Amino acid sequence: MFDEEVYRKLFVEESRENHENIVNNLLALESGEDQQTAIDEIFRSAHTLKGMSASMGFDAMEHLCHSMEDIFSLIRNGQQEVNASLTDLLLTCTDTIEGMLDAIEAGGTPSDAQSANLVQELRAFIEDSPDEQEVPGEEVPVKPAEESDGRPAYTLSIAVDPSCTMKDVRAMLLLQNLEELGTILSTTPSRELVEDGKFDGSFEVLIESEAGEDALRTVASGTEISLLGLSPLSSTTAGAKTPTPGPTPVCQGDSPVEPRAELPSPQVQRPVKSEKSREIKNIRVDIQRLDRMMNLVEDLVINRGRLEQIANKHGIKEFDEALNMVGRSVSDLQNLMMGIRMMPLERIFNRLPRVVRDVANHDGKEVEFVIEGGETELDRSMMDGLSDPLLHIIRNAVNHGIETPDVREAGGKPPKGLLRLTARRDKDNVIIEIEDDGAGINPEKLRKKAVERDLMTPEAAATATKEELVNLLFEPGFSTAETITDISGRGVGLDVVKKTIESLKGTIKVESEMGRGTKFELVLPPTMAIIDVMMVQINGMRCAIPISNVVEVAQTRPEAVHRIGNSEAILLRDQILPMHRLEDMFGQAQKSDTLVVLQNNGKKCCIVVDTVDGQQEVVVKPLSRLAGNCRGISGITIPGDGDVVPVLDVNTMV
Amino acid sequence: MGKILIVDDTMFMRTLLKNILFSGGHDIVGEAADGTEALAKYQELKPDLVTMDVVMPKMNGIEALKAIKAADPSAKVIMCTAVGQEQMVKLAVKSGARGYIVKPFQAPKVLEEVKNVLSA
Repeated sequence: MFDEEVYRKLFVEESRENHENIVNNLLALESGEDQQTAIDEIFRSAHTLKGMSASMGFDAMEHLCHSMEDIFSLIRNGQQEVNASLTDLLLTCTDTIEGMLDAIEAGGTPSDAQSANLVQELRAFIEDSPDEQEVPGEEVPVKPAEESDGRPAYTLSIAVDPSCTMKDVRAMLLLQNLEELGTILSTTPSRELVEDGKFDGSFEVLIESEAGEDALRTVASGTEISLLGLSPLSSTTAGAKTPTPGPTPVCQGDSPVEPRAELPSPQVQRPVKSEKSREIKNIRVDIQRLDRMMNLVEDLVINRGRLEQIANKHGIKEFDEALNMVGRSVSDLQNLMMGIRMMPLERIFNRLPRVVRDVANHDGKEVEFVIEGGETELDRSMMDGLSDPLLHIIRNAVNHGIETPDVREAGGKPPKGLLRLTARRDKDNVIIEIEDDGAGINPEKLRKKAVERDLMTPEAAATATKEELVNLLFEPGFSTAETITDISGRGVGLDVVKKTIESLKGTIKVESEMGRGTKFELVLPPTMAIIDVMMVQINGMRCAIPISNVVEVAQTRPEAVHRIGNSEAILLRDQILPMHRLEDMFGQAQKSDTLVVLQNNGKKCCIVVDTVDGQQEVVVKPLSRLAGNCRGISGITIPGDGDVVPVLDVNTMV
Repeated sequence: MGKILIVDDTMFMRTLLKNILFSGGHDIVGEAADGTEALAKYQELKPDLVTMDVVMPKMNGIEALKAIKAADPSAKVIMCTAVGQEQMVKLAVKSGARGYIVKPFQAPKVLEEVKNVLSA
């Protein structure tokens, strides 16, 4: 019927929105927030997902969403309670749906194998609940038929197409349309039964009408309806035949335009919630298009630099002025583009309440999870990378940090632990903090472990400061948890978290107070693409150093350089700093006494450079996969003159 | 062939329906993503026919139908519905809906219903 691929992308996108809406409202439901809104929202999203997946022919997903919709229909009518086991089941369903969406996005079609059991479990819930009650407002009041007033009457024999979905509605529509032409005196079976779909394919209508046979014929042969027969009756016969005694509802037809529109309909009179519903005011743009645009903006920035250099050489005043204007537009465009690529952190924060809930339930803990500053924005290229480290820290905090309610109470704390995730913009950085009020980290335990794991000599461990000990958490293979749980997982430790954050040009820090809790602080640049660098020359080759890593430029004397083992160090204002000549990267240079002092994560070192050329805003491009992983180089940049300049990775040097 | 306003909260469904209706030679004069927008667009565009989703945020399809009918009693509205929503559709029919189409849409059935309602 249609080219499914054309719709697949749109389908996945909108399905993900609805999926997220279900998950968030399930959690809201459990936390006891505005229940009615949450139930309505879940029902609506499940219903939307059902409709869309049915249209795409993803039957497995349709069945699953249909069952979820049914459950929420019951919950909405008060026939089913929401309890923990049902929420668990529903969350499992949303996981399955997410998996299905992943499969669909990858071009596949989900199979029933993933969902058949869930559908069965949901069905079990539905069957356990009391029978569906009549929807209030649906009762049609029985009104006596009007006396015949001598208009011509007809018997219509009508069949509903066997392939018709909702033949009761189809019949109802027909009867309503017929009522616009005259008065329905009776139907066989009764109108009530017909409108409930309780007829076997065909029924008869006795109608009094002055509209004529043709008009009746037209109305009686609509969509999925065919007229089997039409025979006029004499008005006296019609009168004799009506009214049918008993409960057969026969409606009067004196208001043909809006028959029974005034009937009470409590279902739709629920107050409309306006602010809470999401409103789509944005357009969608393919991320790849944004990336292409960003590349073009970067090219513009590079070429602006080139033009500036040419302008400097020739010193034409008019050209300079024009170039200034172009430069300003390019800067604005660049800022705008960076802004467009920014996404609120909510996009990844929204998944976390679910994680907290699952881990807390698994461990028998009570946790209040507070998220603040979800609106803080970060470049979308960093979002993907940040998701896993955050997940890991959050899981750790619940799993290892927060204690069980009895332990907490024994320690004089409220039984419910507090986990706080905050994000904020601070000058040039985005700061994300994850803070729990749990047990904290025991430095003595760390001390013992450090020696056990050969990370410190017993002497060093004995004198190590708390800060040094806590930083051991980021060492590979260092885990203080006695047992590896299936929640926090195996293998992936905080060392991986640290590496990931560093690959995003960020830093991670941990503070912990025994018995009071632990706080992780992530400092990230809001974007990785354009940074300020210091341009330096090493052995006649240019090289860029991110300005955030530069402490100062200093001059030194040869006497200040000391050899310590295989490496060199320098005494600079009472501080001993490791000194690197970067000869393996740039070749042996002539003696120089210019130093650039670098810092990363509170640690300092210095490198020897020939000259410092100045500071510049550049676009950093990642190294191609072909170049492989070059230690010491985080990317390359192309300043105005078209040269390719490496950007130093200071993380690997300090 | 008629001027049609499509009302549905997902772009996916709107696109699907739009293509079906286009193939039947109809003119899609507008789209709305919720009931409030539907009413505003109806009054602005005066379409010959509205396809109205039932379950939507802000103002659902039944309320939107009622509002449109109140503004223009001769409005022709077709409900877009799915199996399991019989009660809602009946309510819509009682409120003046002229027809219904069932998701997943089958193009011939959709076009037949639209044609019949337009010509009635």
